[in-house]
Amino acid sequence: MRNGRDMTMVPLPATIIGRKELSADTTLYRLTLESSEKDRFDFNPGQFVQLSVPSGGEVPLSLAGPPLLHYSFELCVRRVGHVTDMLHHLLPPNRVGVRGPFGNGFPLSEWTGRNILLIAGGLGIAPLRSLLYALLMRRGEFGEITLMYGAREPSAILFKEELAELSGRRDMHLFLTVDFATEQSPGGLACNTGLLPTLLRGVNFSTTGTVAAVCGPPALYRCLLEELQGFGITAEHIYLSLERRMKCGVGLCCHCAVGDLFCCSDGPVFRYSQLKGISGAI
Amino acid sequence: MTRNLLKHDSIADFLEILATFGELHGPVLTDVGVSAFRPLGPGIDLLLDYSRTLVPPKKYLLPPRDTVLFFATDEGYRQPAAAVPETILVGLHPCDLQGIAYLDKVFMRDRIDPLYRARRTALTLIGLSCEPDEYCFCGDLSATETHGCDLFMRRSPCEFHLRSNTPKGKAILDRLTPILAEGEPLPADSRTCDMAAAIQQASVRGETFEKSALWDEFAGRCLSCGACSLCCPTCYCFDIREYGALDGETTMRLREWDNCLFKDHGEVAGGFNFRKSRQERFHYRYQHKYLGFGPTRGIVSCVGCGRCRVVCPVGIDLLELFKESEDEKRP
Ligand SMILES: Cc1cc2nc3c(=O)[nH]c(=O)nc-3n(C[C@H](O)[C@H](O)[C@H](O)COP(=O)(O)OP(=O)(O)OC[C@H]3O[C@@H](n4cnc5c(N)ncnc54)[C@H](O)[C@@H]3O)c2cc1C
Ligand code: SF4
Ligand code: SF4
Repeated sequence: MRNGRDMTMVPLPATIIGRKELSADTTLYRLTLESSEKDRFDFNPGQFVQLSVPSGGEVPLSLAGPPLLHYSFELCVRRVGHVTDMLHHLLPPNRVGVRGPFGNGFPLSEWTGRNILLIAGGLGIAPLRSLLYALLMRRGEFGEITLMYGAREPSAILFKEELAELSGRRDMHLFLTVDFATEQSPGGLACNTGLLPTLLRGVNFSTTGTVAAVCGPPALYRCLLEELQGFGITAEHIYLSLERRMKCGVGLCCHCAVGDLFCCSDGPVFRYSQLKGISGAI
Repeated sequence: MTRNLLKHDSIADFLEILATFGELHGPVLTDVGVSAFRPLGPGIDLLLDYSRTLVPPKKYLLPPRDTVLFFATDEGYRQPAAAVPETILVGLHPCDLQGIAYLDKVFMRDRIDPLYRARRTALTLIGLSCEPDEYCFCGDLSATETHGCDLFMRRSPCEFHLRSNTPKGKAILDRLTPILAEGEPLPADSRTCDMAAAIQQASVRGETFEKSALWDEFAGRCLSCGACSLCCPTCYCFDIREYGALDGETTMRLREWDNCLFKDHGEVAGGFNFRKSRQERFHYRYQHKYLGFGPTRGIVSCVGCGRCRVVCPVGIDLLELFKESEDEKRP
């Protein structure tokens, strides 16, 4: 409840305070809630919000920035249809509506002392960027941190400047790959060519006591899961963030069920072991 | 001895008294010959002997199109003020009462839907006993007769035995006293149904009939017309649509009945469909009706009203799955 309004049902007014184009079709927005208390918008990485564009409608979007970001939060949005198209016409200080945060998010507190492997395909970088910053904020609690990020082509790599900065850090490893290379090093970044499973096989990372967090299109899961288990990472320790059609975000509209689980309220982050027996889950 | 007998020839007086508690609605035979819940009034006969209405009473709680939010530039999104008239629904069969009890669990237990609650609070439910036909397969009725409604009318050859279950029902019963005769209260009806028992057992086992050839058979015939969910008293899944007004300043967000057998039910932006085949969509319907998901996990939501079996234009009947497995068990 904020200002006496139920944030799970009624979108709260939010203002766009920043906008940055990341690629031809994807933009990063920074938003702030117009709440009189100016309380922080708290969430777990992996959670999502329902963003309303007035007269357009509402779409689920992953929280893409670090948690506890000075009363604001970030969303990374690809323009793919009706609502996201309308959103792309908005600029600061235009107003939108926000419900949430919804879903479970990644269980960071269960990962203490473990090595952590993040694998993002395409727009899957949005929730994993949030997760990465949250891990780095509590860097001392975890072992090795590795991010592998694959995009279709160099121009589709999101957050290039940030990646350049991250690649200089000594307390984490970063590996990039693109399906098709048209230039040698996109934006000065060291980058491989090939699909993510190929990258996974080709680079060194710790495989003992490791948890993997994966987010990307369904095709990515199909080819990565076997590989990860081949490295000895058990289904218990592989976390996937699933996408489904969603309308309400709170387990009522019944579009997002995966077996007997709701993607919106039991997920969107699942352990692979939860999904293994469910046909159509992956 | 209490005054709880309503003689069949006192029905008109009964309805007149009920109407003093709120808008009176019940099953009637419409001009086009279907049974439907409609407002009652002078010259409109309440159906006391009917099999089932085409559209279930869920329409009183979840209208097919419902405005859930308004938007105006200066005030943002807000919920509509729910001004719901007191409504008395008379003549509900136990299956429909059970259907409402299920919807109550979904919309008023873990997460309270304010519109649903406003409508539900304004609703008084008066149950009526029924005689099963070849399409019904409900299980034990005693729970719905006793807890599922405010007042229950059990029919016997010359009268109805009334029993109140709630303070609302008690208040109505008190007002009815002058037209009632004295009688012994009847114990709740008990009826058993093999099909209902088979469904319960399959649900407890978490049965999915994965190997059955019937899925392909259903998928081959289904027209994706959606009639089976539209007429189901417990199908509630909904789509959300937003319509901007021409002034460019205001907007309405609507909740509309959706259907899991429609092709776009599992489709996301970019055209990827998580339930592309009809087989997958039937599995989804099966999962929701008999096994449940999310907070309704483990609850059988089919109440055995038989509507979907009656309306399907191509005679698809999910009960065949259960029958097939029962047949296999027999030597
Ligand atoms: C948990 C979750 C997190 C997501 N995070 C992001 C993110 O960080 N960035 C991003 O760009 N996209 C994300 N998406 C996908 C995003 O929600 C869709 O791209 C968006 O709904 C498309 O809406 P549209 O109106 O622009 O497209 P249209 O194709 O015009 O959509 C029409 C309607 O279909 C529904 N719909 C279509 N696709 C989806 C979908 N994938 N999920 C739910 N409903 C859908 C919408 O409700 C919409 O009203 C996420 C989806 C989920 C489920
Ligand atoms: S599934 Fe069919 S029989 Fe069961 S409650 Fe729904 S309409 Fe009635
Ligand atoms: S009523 Fe029959 S044909 Fe229509 S959607 Fe349901 S199963 Fe398919």
